[in-house]
Amino acid sequence: MKMTAERWQSLTLGIVGIALFLAAWEAIGVNRLAGLTWPPLSAVFQFMFDPTKAQLFTRAMEASFSMVILGYVTGSLVGIALAGLVHVLPIVRPGMDRLASVIHAIPAIALAPLFIVLISREFTGMAIAALNVFFILYVSTTSGLNNSTTGHRDLFQVLGSNRTTRLLRLDLPAALPAVVSGMKYSVPAAFIGAILGEWFGSSRGLGLLMVSAMQNFQIPLLWSAVFIASTASLIVFGLMGLLEQFVYGRYK
Amino acid sequence: MNTPLPSAPATAPEAWAIHVDHVGKTFTLDGGKELKAIDNVDIKIGQGEFVALLGPSGCGKSTILRLVAALEDVSTGRVTVEGSDPTALSRAHRLGVAFQDHALLPWLTIRDNIALPYKVAGRPVDDKRIAELLALVGLSGFEKARPRQLSGGMRQRVSIARALVLQPEVLLLDEPFGALDAVTRRHMNVELQRIWSEQRITTLLVTHSVEEALFLADRVIVMSGRPGRVIKEIQVPFARPRSPDVQRTTEFHHLADELTLALEPEGHH
Repeated sequence: MKMTAERWQSLTLGIVGIALFLAAWEAIGVNRLAGLTWPPLSAVFQFMFDPTKAQLFTRAMEASFSMVILGYVTGSLVGIALAGLVHVLPIVRPGMDRLASVIHAIPAIALAPLFIVLISREFTGMAIAALNVFFILYVSTTSGLNNSTTGHRDLFQVLGSNRTTRLLRLDLPAALPAVVSGMKYSVPAAFIGAILGEWFGSSRGLGLLMVSAMQNFQIPLLWSAVFIASTASLIVFGLMGLLEQFVYGRYK
Repeated sequence: MNTPLPSAPATAPEAWAIHVDHVGKTFTLDGGKELKAIDNVDIKIGQGEFVALLGPSGCGKSTILRLVAALEDVSTGRVTVEGSDPTALSRAHRLGVAFQDHALLPWLTIRDNIALPYKVAGRPVDDKRIAELLALVGLSGFEKARPRQLSGGMRQRVSIARALVLQPEVLLLDEPFGALDAVTRRHMNVELQRIWSEQRITTLLVTHSVEEALFLADRVIVMSGRPGRVIKEIQVPFARPRSPDVQRTTEFHHLADELTLALEPEGHH
């Protein structure tokens, strides 16, 4: 990728912004501007990278991230598959749209107890993550599948294409940018779902660490768990952004 | 290749490659109002003939092309291509179309774009044919490039190569060079004339350029707008292959003047 002056500028400004944010965090913490519950960044890091805590964090990360991944993959597959189905069978589209909207309109908090009863405590986070991701990908894929231009649709018709060929060679590739954007925006949604699910009595995970640290006033532990979850989400979000850039460059 | 369709038995055999038989087309607009795009248009195109449909924008000439391509249905009258319904031709993968918008797929390479008609028809891709066509349109060596890396003129040439790749019986060109600058356009016309003289496929070209129509076609049909009607028809006398010099002859200028006059709103004779 070529680095233009504009790109350099936005990169530099971005780094300066993050540095200012972290410096403000540290300053507020050191000077106790926000009280005892706002520790300096350095204290959080010290706690987080303490070798005796390594196992605690690794196990929590393993538990949470595996739920994030499971939920993300399940939600994506179901969302894309159902969007493909309503594209091929337009008659079920209005019904499926409404169902997806209704499910999305119910707060995940309200569904969590149901999942605990229906599935298990351990997989509640995964289920909420999958629901969140499902909705975003269903919406982005259904709209993406209609992204082919009139010119391209005319072309496939005069070439004598059947529906399947058009779906595979035109509709799906034309939908890819929207699908990848959907996959990017569902990364934070998957993290929120998984961690929220763990608040409801999971026996492992970053969500559990957060809840127990909060209840036991272990401020550095609480902030560390939050920091890890946010950083992981941001990194994956950033990587998906790179993939999105590539796909937009090629498929649009 | 290019074996003619078996002519319909007993019932009056259709001698024309394309017959637009007293066709009218009315569009219903959003507000429920009806717009008559073309009215009672009768056009006959013979086998291997190159006909240009000339007219101001909005005169319904593109509508006629879309009717022949089976992209629209007639409101009145009938369109036959090779004696049957126009959909039969596209379903049999024997129709080549180049649009004003090149309609190349941005995610495919040039080679894959030209190979697309094979894929859609479910036939094995003939790489030799693709190489020939790329040479014909002067783009050898660009196989692996993508459409966005090419200039507008190059993209249009790819789109014409794609229209020709399956050796169609009928070629429809909808202002394929309409979006190009005058110099590139003139150059493209010379190229197209050369390519066509080698293949001689029944061709319908839609254009609003008098010079383009005269230089390329065997016959020029002039249309007036709203609703579209045929107002004039001339045979183009120049022998093929035509060199660009034809455009500087007195006869060319006379015919161009005649057509330009016919195109003017008060030019109805």
